[in-house]
Amino acid sequence: MALLEVTDLSVTYSPRDSAQVRAVDGVTFSVEEGEFVGLLGESGCGKSTLGNAVLRLLEKPAAISGGRIVFDGRDITEASEDELRPLRWVDLSTVFQSSMNSLNPVITVREQFADCFAAHEEAAGRGLDVDERAGELLEMVSLPRDVLRRYPHELSGGMKQRVALALALALRPKFVLLDEPTTGLDVVVQREILDRLAELREELGFAVLFISHDLGTVVEMADRVLVMYGGELVEDQPADAIVHDHLHPYTAGLMGSYADPRDEHVEVAFIPGRPPDLSRSHEGCLFAPRCPVAVDACESEHPELLPAGRGEARCLLVEWAVADGVPARKAAPVDQLDAVFAADASPRGAADGEPVLVVDGAGKTYKVRRGGKSTSVRAVHDVSFALRPGRVTALVGQSGSGKTTIARMITGVERPSDGTVRFGSTDVGSLGRRALRGYRRHVQLVFQDPFSALNPTRTVAYAISRPLRNHLGLGKQDARARAGELLETVGLSPAAQYLDKLPHQLSGGQRQRVVIARALASEPEVLVADEPISMLDVSIRAEIVALLDRLVRERGIAMLYITHDLLSARLLADEVMVLNQGEMVEHGPTMEVIREARDPYTRKLLAAIPHPGAPRPGGAQTAGPAEVATPALP
Amino acid sequence: MSSTSNVPAAATTGAGDTELAGVAAVEAGRSGRVPGWFVILWRNGKCRLGLVMLAGFVVVAVAAPLVTPYGPRVDDFGLSEGPSAAHWLGTTARGQDVFSQLVYGARTSLIVGIVAGVLSTVIALVIGLTAGYLQGVVDEVLSFLINLGLVVPVLPLMITLSAYAPVKGLGLVIIVIAVTGWAFGARIKRAQIITLRTRDYVTAAKFSGDGTMRIIFYEIAPNMTSLIVVGFMGSALGAIGAEAGLSFLGLGDPQTISWGTMLNQASAGGALLTGQWAWLVAPGVVLAGLITSFTLINFGVDALSNPHLRED
Repeated sequence: MALLEVTDLSVTYSPRDSAQVRAVDGVTFSVEEGEFVGLLGESGCGKSTLGNAVLRLLEKPAAISGGRIVFDGRDITEASEDELRPLRWVDLSTVFQSSMNSLNPVITVREQFADCFAAHEEAAGRGLDVDERAGELLEMVSLPRDVLRRYPHELSGGMKQRVALALALALRPKFVLLDEPTTGLDVVVQREILDRLAELREELGFAVLFISHDLGTVVEMADRVLVMYGGELVEDQPADAIVHDHLHPYTAGLMGSYADPRDEHVEVAFIPGRPPDLSRSHEGCLFAPRCPVAVDACESEHPELLPAGRGEARCLLVEWAVADGVPARKAAPVDQLDAVFAADASPRGAADGEPVLVVDGAGKTYKVRRGGKSTSVRAVHDVSFALRPGRVTALVGQSGSGKTTIARMITGVERPSDGTVRFGSTDVGSLGRRALRGYRRHVQLVFQDPFSALNPTRTVAYAISRPLRNHLGLGKQDARARAGELLETVGLSPAAQYLDKLPHQLSGGQRQRVVIARALASEPEVLVADEPISMLDVSIRAEIVALLDRLVRERGIAMLYITHDLLSARLLADEVMVLNQGEMVEHGPTMEVIREARDPYTRKLLAAIPHPGAPRPGGAQTAGPAEVATPALP
Repeated sequence: MSSTSNVPAAATTGAGDTELAGVAAVEAGRSGRVPGWFVILWRNGKCRLGLVMLAGFVVVAVAAPLVTPYGPRVDDFGLSEGPSAAHWLGTTARGQDVFSQLVYGARTSLIVGIVAGVLSTVIALVIGLTAGYLQGVVDEVLSFLINLGLVVPVLPLMITLSAYAPVKGLGLVIIVIAVTGWAFGARIKRAQIITLRTRDYVTAAKFSGDGTMRIIFYEIAPNMTSLIVVGFMGSALGAIGAEAGLSFLGLGDPQTISWGTMLNQASAGGALLTGQWAWLVAPGVVLAGLITSFTLINFGVDALSNPHLRED
């Protein structure tokens, strides 16, 4: 018998003001003892709801509306809170998506461990030495013991996430639910945590349900992968089968988002459209509207999750193939999707064109005063580069390497302490307040987080019309008309449908398009994009990259693309600069920097890129389509 | 508006964000006939009771001439009579109908509550938001003002101001209350804007060329609507109480009929000695009722700003 058996589980949100939403619909799966199961899907597919349901953590208005959850032979579907309490953390534990917030900010790390041990005395053992055990646990997740004395705000995001992981493993649970445990962390930190997690599982042998929208990471870690779409499981296969013999077109779409940036020819695909609205009932296959290989029957006939390949799949095409005795393989290969973005597909601005913005020997030193002592921190040192019309320069570096400081100097938010930033003949560092406002007509910013970059109480039309009215002096009517045109430009059409929407009515990708439209409104010459895709689902990232690429080419904009994702840098950028501790360590044409990476950090970044199917040191997978094998890392 | 559901949004944005409150209200207000904020208020049992009570007071105050059998200043009845069929709550020592005065008094209390509440909220908004947004020297100066407003004992200041003011009247009472009651609200709003001013959308507004005042009042203020409403309810409630207090002490406007002046006159007219309990108790009861209704509504406003408090 499996450790966790979920049978026909449904979860329904019943808010008082609006229609019911079936977020999870008839999901059946099991997790064996010690098994690592990945749960994949885009935002809004019901993954987290399913995870919370399994832990019985659902809160109103969500409730389990059908099915059973059996954990370790016990039916916990209806168990009361008192019955669940001894079970939680002892047998079932979890690391939440934002563990940054799951640590109590007013007590030390040691106290958090002590609380956990005190709440479960039987499991922890009476008279346990908290310092000793908590210290061991911290060492287990590669943290020094002195972290015990610290408060959560004194730790970095990655350290907090490790503490959360150590806490989750504190009572040696049989099952751990990981809900996007590394989202929002630096890719290199993410990689370190996941590697450590894999090692720990070897040692301790707990079972894991790993929720993520990032197929690359899931496939590398998991034994078996469940793919979820619109509240239903659409595919269930062993991890290597998901990579090479995936059956469902949706899985194929997710797979398309990956490529090796070192390849001669790099292209990634995305899945156009949005997940279905689950408050309405659907006939036929939920994925049909976005499916590149859908046939007429898909519109009317709802497929069942049936055995196929080495697992199960929910697709009519697969069902027929199985029935005909044809090997059900690759019902939808990636190249059938019409949404593909290839690097270097079309010509860009000239490499030796007249630069529009020149950064010359710029440096920034911050003075930090703490307790009467004044120390200076060098954020950026002697950085020089130029931005040219119609070309993209990528700025790569880990958190704290000075990327954002450079962006702030270019946009005039900070003044360089040494060197100059020149826009044409203006010295950006010497602009006064009023002049700066004028300067911003020419230099605009695309934000990282589309969820905070738009005012939640203001409509799309308002957001886009502000720069039009302020910088271009348009009247109210003209501004609205122009805002509509801009929305069409960024692919939100018909524009009339979006103008009066509030940000929360849009998906992440749509919001980022609005943010881009706003940045374009004042017809800037320079665009600074600060990790514009890192908060988006992997499946739609290529869509935004393609949009940025088109805008740069069509409008001759000079773009500084800040990222730590080398794949998107490869797709978008003409040249790449690598920043490490405020100094530029590599600078050159994209292909050169990526294929002949010299700096250890660049190599680490390359190694951190998930690439399902490619051979990875330590991974026992078959050779993938990558032409250049991953070089052995130091 | 298209039929796009807002439910997935509600389901996916798990992280509690106070800004969502305003959004929920704006959103529901756009799509339905009944404004969204009202739906949330009405759903809360305590708040519903408060709204009904307040509506009752407003209706009575507006329709005062229709409700009352006599004018409030008509003094040709018997002096200091007890409750009777003709005079439900008796008559005053000057021969006026107590019930009529009570009804007209509601007008004064509501006007003072609303006007003084709005005034002190506006002062608190301007000072608090400017201080919190600009920081630096401006913040130092304005914060000093706020602190001053907080530490100066309010009651003696009010008494001094109203006692020495060259003019008397309801306007003076309102101004005195507003001037002495804004500081606390300003402090809260300053704290809130300090957390909101670093949001990306504020930076975006700067890049869009918006000026400081526009950013404060068009970008940030709408995101703290519920806080502003709570602040207003608090100051209105305080103002009603303060007006009654000042009038009871005889520092109000003797020409205005208010519950405070009624209490003052009842006390001066020896209501207790003559056994006219109704004259003494009635203004106190309605005053308590009005203040209670505001307090109850505040429960609902809390639910508006904090989705976790919404009763399911």
